[in-house]
Amino acid sequence: MLVAVVLRLVPDLSGEFEIADDGKDVDREWVGMRLNEFDDHALEEAILLKEAEGATVIALALAGEGADRMLQSAIARGANRAVKISHDAEGVLSSRAAAPVIAAAVRQLGVELVLTGVQTPEDLFGQLAPYLGATLDWPHVSAVGGVQRAGDGIEVLQEYSGGISARLRLGLPAVIGVQTASQPPRYVSGSKLRQAMSEPIAVIKSDAMPAADTAEILALREPTRSSEAVMLEGDAETVADKLHGLLAERGLVKG
Amino acid sequence: MAVQTLILWALVAFAGAVAAWRFYRLLRPLLRARPDPRFDRPGERIIGVLRAVGLHQRLLKIRYSGILHAMIFSSFIVLFTAIVEAFGSGLFPGFSLAPIGGNTWIAWLQEVFAVVILVGLGLAVWQRYVIRPSRFRGSNTLDATLIYLLITAVVLTMLLQAAFAIAAGHDAAAPWRPVSRQIAVLLTALGVSGESAARGEHIFYWAHICAILGFLVYIPGSKHRHMILAAINVYFRSLQPKGTLPPADLDHPPIGVGAIEQFTWKNMLDLYSCTECGRCQAACPAYAAGLPLSPKLLITDLRDHLIDKTNGAAPEPLLGGAIAEETLWACTTCRACMEVCPVHIEHIPKIVDMRRQLVEQARVQPMLQEALSNLQRNGNSMGKSPRLRARWTKELPFKIKDARSEPVNILWFVGDFASFDPRVQANTRRVAELLHAAGVDFGILYEAEQNSGNDVRRAGEEGLFEMLAKHNIELLSGCTFNRVMTTDPHSLNALRQEYRAIGGTFEVIHYTQLLLELIESGRLTLAPGQGEVATYHDPCYLGRYNGGFDAPRRIIERTGHRLHEMKRCRENSFCCGAGGGRIWSDDTGVTERPSENRIKEALALGDAKYFIVACPKDKVMYTAAVQALGVEDRIEVRDIVDLIKLAPHAIGERQPNVAA
Amino acid sequence: MGDILVHIETRAGAIQPVSLELLTAARELAGATGMKVEALVAAAAPQEITARLGAADRVLVVAHPALEPYTPEAHAAILAETVRARDPAIVLLGYSSVGLDLAPNLAVRTGRPLVSYCVKLAVTGDAIEAESLVYGGKLRATTRAKLPAIFAVTPGSFAEAQAGAAPAEILELAPPDAIGKLRTAFVSETRPPPGAIDLTQADRILCVGRGIADKDSIAIAEEVAAALGAEIAGSRPVIDAGWLPKERQVGKSGCKVKPKLYIAAGVSGAPEHLEGMSAAELIVGINSDAKAPIFRVAHYGTTCDLFDLLPALGERLKSGGAG
Repeated sequence: MLVAVVLRLVPDLSGEFEIADDGKDVDREWVGMRLNEFDDHALEEAILLKEAEGATVIALALAGEGADRMLQSAIARGANRAVKISHDAEGVLSSRAAAPVIAAAVRQLGVELVLTGVQTPEDLFGQLAPYLGATLDWPHVSAVGGVQRAGDGIEVLQEYSGGISARLRLGLPAVIGVQTASQPPRYVSGSKLRQAMSEPIAVIKSDAMPAADTAEILALREPTRSSEAVMLEGDAETVADKLHGLLAERGLVKG
Repeated sequence: MAVQTLILWALVAFAGAVAAWRFYRLLRPLLRARPDPRFDRPGERIIGVLRAVGLHQRLLKIRYSGILHAMIFSSFIVLFTAIVEAFGSGLFPGFSLAPIGGNTWIAWLQEVFAVVILVGLGLAVWQRYVIRPSRFRGSNTLDATLIYLLITAVVLTMLLQAAFAIAAGHDAAAPWRPVSRQIAVLLTALGVSGESAARGEHIFYWAHICAILGFLVYIPGSKHRHMILAAINVYFRSLQPKGTLPPADLDHPPIGVGAIEQFTWKNMLDLYSCTECGRCQAACPAYAAGLPLSPKLLITDLRDHLIDKTNGAAPEPLLGGAIAEETLWACTTCRACMEVCPVHIEHIPKIVDMRRQLVEQARVQPMLQEALSNLQRNGNSMGKSPRLRARWTKELPFKIKDARSEPVNILWFVGDFASFDPRVQANTRRVAELLHAAGVDFGILYEAEQNSGNDVRRAGEEGLFEMLAKHNIELLSGCTFNRVMTTDPHSLNALRQEYRAIGGTFEVIHYTQLLLELIESGRLTLAPGQGEVATYHDPCYLGRYNGGFDAPRRIIERTGHRLHEMKRCRENSFCCGAGGGRIWSDDTGVTERPSENRIKEALALGDAKYFIVACPKDKVMYTAAVQALGVEDRIEVRDIVDLIKLAPHAIGERQPNVAA
Repeated sequence: MGDILVHIETRAGAIQPVSLELLTAARELAGATGMKVEALVAAAAPQEITARLGAADRVLVVAHPALEPYTPEAHAAILAETVRARDPAIVLLGYSSVGLDLAPNLAVRTGRPLVSYCVKLAVTGDAIEAESLVYGGKLRATTRAKLPAIFAVTPGSFAEAQAGAAPAEILELAPPDAIGKLRTAFVSETRPPPGAIDLTQADRILCVGRGIADKDSIAIAEEVAAALGAEIAGSRPVIDAGWLPKERQVGKSGCKVKPKLYIAAGVSGAPEHLEGMSAAELIVGINSDAKAPIFRVAHYGTTCDLFDLLPALGERLKSGGAG
């Protein structure tokens, strides 16, 4: 089974970041980028399929800054090969815009199953998995918590709210939006990363043009707090006192 | 007579063969093991053996044990003459030590040391069964008991043989054998003489022989192997600087050790040399904290696993089977174990080697995985953006030079915790202020600095260590400076010792050394002190690993404090528990944090008002410990910099910029 | 002009709360534009569900056995066909696991713009201005989409519409042919076991997030929870890592809870989590990041280290006063 995992770099907003001058995007010059967390899970699930079923895993990413390192890390994790998609589009592509570009590459590679993260933090205009599915006219399932081979196709676990989940069977080819891998993404040692640095990254050209988003971002800003939380200051002992007092006042605890 | 000789030959040959076979079985895996270059500098090695074995240097650190061992040890040497006499005369009729004094001074020495050894054994038995020191917990008592019995048998049979000989009138050495003579008197009083005495002599001669041969056959399977192996093991000890670990060949897997046969021959020799004395266990902070690591049991478990595997009887794997993963992760790499081991066993390289394989197999706890992933991504374990590294400088009233672009005298390698941890940043700023006040020409690397990799290496992540080290070395190589200074002993160790093998040789000093230089040269004028009592905690990587004991102490005195030392000071300092990657692990299983144990030790001094530290991790660990124990009113944790109060005229005034 | 089409999500014959929220949003938009509200129910036996949809002007029903239990493919086909047939100006979907698949699929098949994670919708001329929470809730995006367009709404953004009287009109639509050529099949469903903890019944909840760092540290939180008489819960990363069972998950793919007390320790407060707990009466957030989104819904917060605060709090709870 030939599996492609689409990997994306997204801004790491856990640290400091600034809004760009035009007020419509994060200032990408200074912000750190990291592998999208759900894509990390998708990669782990793909490697698990490789280990369980002997699937061949291709790590796939759009060309751009940091793509090489990200793809090499995927090889260090266990992907069989890495492929970078070169294209003519400029700037940051939303998942919707990127879908046709990636879909063309997927067709070129003859992939049967595409795994990617269920969403990225910047999927304002929608998620990649269903976009790819619809573009390729392949069945797709999102919010998936596990993928297994089942006969000629696959079985996935789609998760809903309230702890309910359902097993669905799909014929291949298909696209899956992975939410949780069957086991937490494993650690990759520095020595494996080092070895992977010398792995070649194939490049394929995608002829497809990106799709238009057709909605327009007017502004991106930090939300103003309508009702702010009252912050409790002090060291642990002081705050614990205040908190305990709060709870006691409301009759939630004795004291 | 000839029959007796033949029988003795047969016995000796048989016992010798069995003993040799058993030794061979032990040593076979060594012959097939990975190489270990320990054959250099023979002169230095021999001297070490003489110090360790001849002077009993480490043994005497526990006076009682050291003395009793010296007694037994020296007696063995002297009584060896008795063995030579017994076997010599039996195997080669006519052989005797008489010509060189076998019936005079040698006999006398044998008598004296027979008593010495029996007293020594008595002390040993008393210690093992009455005093019962906790370091013996887990040691093989049966083995010890059998040894006592065998040695006693050897000595008593020797004395009794001589006594019967004297009673029979045979022994020419009688005048030189006071003890045996007394026993002979007793025997004669009991009516033993003449023929019965001769028979007794004969019996005890053979008993003596059998006891010795029995001992010989027993040794290979007993911790008493150390009789033969100790000197050898000390000879082959590592002469590499303490702060370096053997490298891993990242291009040739397996990386680290995943199966016992992957250890080098010297590591295996270590396992056989262990005497189960337990000094390492007694010194280990992880063990004291209740974690599942005893350095002693680690070595004996590895030894037993090696023996089992050689015999084909070990179905369990090494990692996670013979040795639990939690055991391996519990070590702080403080080196207390290696510092006290009388036979110079190297515990830490074994632990690190096994950790290396666990890392390769991704068998790491989530917290450690997160720290290592952060280091891979951002060069610091907190996962903060590298841009935030120099944030602590923002509140300073002056700008620190950027060592990347300007030449400096002192290149200050700040370290992760000192840069990012809000609890330590105030300290770091204070150091900057002092250096500035003293007019030191210094600079930092701003956001280009990355974790030195010291603890990354000790956590077993060789590949990541190499990445960090190479980055820092390249960075430093592009800078112009005289010396590197750091506030963090772990960084100090990596920069001074570990980086050498990767092409980075720098002169590296600890900030306490620099501050002392500044004080002594008058560039920092101190306000007079109040004479308060303080105790000082030697950080593992500054003290034990890098010999930096004195500078902090001199500063403490210079600032007018009275130093009251804790018992576990200098080389015997007790680790705070954060090293070796432990700061990236959680506290499960800890019954008493090493840091709290240490604070209690300081409190027990009675009068120490301040607990002085010289390492950013120590400041964090001990402040937390004081809070946890609720003793803030009795003792205060202070960094060396907190002690330095400048004389009024020195504050705000920069002193002339003199090249350091 | 077209109408407003609301996608009604059902499960085992029950309407999902988010769909009722969409009806409220639709009514607001209808009031501003004069458009009609149509609700689409695609199920095996949709007629039983329509009675609750009085807030809609018209209910479109598509009945087919393949529509239940749910598969994305079947419902995507119905939705696309319905939009082609009815040509609504605005389509509203709830952002659940169902919406995640259906909204983008619909956008491609009908060539319409899609804006996700909407918390607010306003009409401006021939477009809709939407506000969405992105980057884990840290940033708010304002977008403008020219109609016709599709909007996926974050649950919890609107009040649920009342059932009301039966809807004015019910229109039956035929399912497209594609319904017979599906490549996706339902196999089985898993519900939490009956004896399992039901967080929705808990009075007090102490929820741990990624900040708890590892499984063994959860014990610290469990102690405090026990002293507090609270149930322990986890946000998605904690459940994913296997540190707590699935029944204890609060959030989009877990439980939606409304306890008297909700303490979130080490939880960042991404919208998916807030969805599950923002209605709690008293919310206390513990997170070392002062900018964590949790503080936007919390009533009280602190940046104290949870490893210091929780034990300190636990002490006070056990001793009933100052520790």
